Amino acid sequence: MPMTADQLRNGESAVIASLHEGDYRLRLAEMGCVPGTRIKREYQAPGGDPIAFRIDTYLLGLRLEEARLIEILPEDKGGNA
Amino acid sequence: MRRIALVGNPNCGKTTLFNRLTGLQQHTSNLPGTTVEAHHGKFKLPNETIELIDLPGIYSLFAESDDEKLVVQHLLGEGVEKPDAILLVLDSSNLRRNLLLQQQLQDLGYPTAAVLTMQDSAKRRGLAQDISHLEKQLGLQILGINPRKDRQLAAPISLFLEKLLNAAAPELPPNDTENKLQRFHSGEKIKGLSLETLLRYNRIESILSACQTQEYFGWKSFTLKLDRWFVHPVVGFLAFFAVMMIIFQGVFTLAEGPMTWVEDAFAWASVGVESFLPQHTASGLITDGLLPGLAGVVVFVPQIFILFFLIGLLEDSGYMVRASFITDRLMRKIGLNGRSVIPLVGGFACAIPAMMATRSIRNRSERLATMIVVPLMSCSARLPVYVLLISLAIPAQQFIGPVPAQTLVMTSAYFAGIIVALLIAALFKRFHPSQERSEFILELPAYQRPRLQTVAQQAWMKCKSFLQEAGSVILIISVALWALSTWGPGDSMNQAKIKAEQAAKELECPEDLEPREFQSQLESTFKLEASYAGHIGHAIEPAIEPLGYDWKTGIALISSFAAREVFVGTMSTLFQSSDGNVSGIRARMQKEIDPHTGEPKYGIAYALSLIIFYAFALQCISTMAVMKKETGSWTWPISLFLLYGALAYLGAFIVYRWSIGFLI
Repeated sequence: MPMTADQLRNGESAVIASLHEGDYRLRLAEMGCVPGTRIKREYQAPGGDPIAFRIDTYLLGLRLEEARLIEILPEDKGGNA
Repeated sequence: MRRIALVGNPNCGKTTLFNRLTGLQQHTSNLPGTTVEAHHGKFKLPNETIELIDLPGIYSLFAESDDEKLVVQHLLGEGVEKPDAILLVLDSSNLRRNLLLQQQLQDLGYPTAAVLTMQDSAKRRGLAQDISHLEKQLGLQILGINPRKDRQLAAPISLFLEKLLNAAAPELPPNDTENKLQRFHSGEKIKGLSLETLLRYNRIESILSACQTQEYFGWKSFTLKLDRWFVHPVVGFLAFFAVMMIIFQGVFTLAEGPMTWVEDAFAWASVGVESFLPQHTASGLITDGLLPGLAGVVVFVPQIFILFFLIGLLEDSGYMVRASFITDRLMRKIGLNGRSVIPLVGGFACAIPAMMATRSIRNRSERLATMIVVPLMSCSARLPVYVLLISLAIPAQQFIGPVPAQTLVMTSAYFAGIIVALLIAALFKRFHPSQERSEFILELPAYQRPRLQTVAQQAWMKCKSFLQEAGSVILIISVALWALSTWGPGDSMNQAKIKAEQAAKELECPEDLEPREFQSQLESTFKLEASYAGHIGHAIEPAIEPLGYDWKTGIALISSFAAREVFVGTMSTLFQSSDGNVSGIRARMQKEIDPHTGEPKYGIAYALSLIIFYAFALQCISTMAVMKKETGSWTWPISLFLLYGALAYLGAFIVYRWSIGFLI
């Protein structure tokens, strides 16, 4: 099972591998969630949803179901690479 | 005049730049049928004056929300003249994502130049760009600026823009982007857009690898530290409520001084006019009709300005987006979106800009639901009504437990609106479930010190349009009211005078009134009752009598269907408190005596019932007009008018009966 962005824990970072097909694909790509980009989970809203990710150099808030569309390759634990 | 459009991502410093360059010389324009605004301003180049157009911030040309569409309409020249050139504003701290827009724009063939902003925050994130290298790679002129700090901004930019306008249009590479855009925005589904975006990012990556260095990925920022608290499950919500409380408290305390000045100025003007003009009907038109009506509006400009200003500061600082972030889960449950928070909070200032602010919600059902409940947020026009009624019926010294009774009633009025709004949104979701997928995908911009000047400018523009719109309506209504209450059918006015003299003999004069004062009050009451206005009021009295209102309130109620704040103006015209001062009207109303019983007429049950009526009723033609524009038909505004009218009537009825039973 490939890992998706929602499975990261706060402070963990990864590299985006691919985007699932679907309505949000274009929007996510436009916002810079493209393969090869570094992604780091920073924090979440009360209740665990939405989640704030750092995409390259900026913070992006995504709902759980949106984060599930981003497949990732785990990079390292601890995140400050 | 040649025109240059400013295009860029949201939060890239575009509006700051625009405001710095054009100052207060701005106006806004709408495309037919929409309320999305473009801002226009004049800017001087060495040899000519040009027009700058500030368009809404966008991430991509292939976007679906109305404000994003406006940008594309300008660029394609649909319904508007195309600009002569484009000034692209690029955020240096986020260059990769910003360049997507540059790559798309390149395909449209406009003469383009770019300014690079936010280099200081890029540096803090370990980013640095080689501008001259970037210019070569992108094939466009780039000027590094800091719109917030640079002292000299106009001079270098005017030289830069002159060069841009004199440059030859770039050679257009063969592409079908323009055609694709047209098809996309006429609703066609276009395949391969995601792939195209990925390919553009590949190209951006190769450009950046040559001219950008990134030292580190992890960054310990002030923003993340603050967010730890602002999104905290407990502290975050407490902070949200505290911020709202501070805003409302701020509106009251900060506006107090300026409001007194306005009141004093009008009192002074009224005395001046009275001593200057001969005692005549025409001078009555000014001192009893025009001045009190106008004073009733102008006096609330300080409050409205402060409310717009404070909400503007919150938006500009980046906090409002966090409020969206923490409330999204709850909002989703009732068919709204985290993004609804901004319009809903804005609704406390004014429903009109709030309706426009719903445009960033892409899901149509969520957007409609937000627009439906926005009018239930107690807007600043209701504030004067609440203030007048609360100070009329509730003594400032009265406490319920530790809370002053006045504050409690005011807060309850706001909460009554909020609770009903949440219920209505939930009902709407139940009976009108969304067909589209709901999305959040929201940038959380870094916190920044709010730009006082920009925010104040925007708040002032909003006040100005409030004054222009409300002012003219109120002027007409106050003159009409004055005429209707000065004259009556036949010799009814003379008869009223005789009746008043008789009543003065029969009724006992209250202790705190001089006998002469008592008689003149009885006279004006009888005269008003005999006038045309009195007749209209009496005609609708049976309908509003169950709510505890008399015919005078009826007149004020009818006239405030044009806009709520007219209520205070009408009351001051009806009670001839020519100094336009809340305490003046209040004093007249408190002294008002029921001619049949000799008891005070306007008590606590009356005040509470009216407050609830105003909290729910959709008494604002401008709001209805904006909603018609935004939804494309009169169906929703009219249905809401009827629904909220019924709700107001029912609510006022229950509150009135309840207060009579329990409080009196």
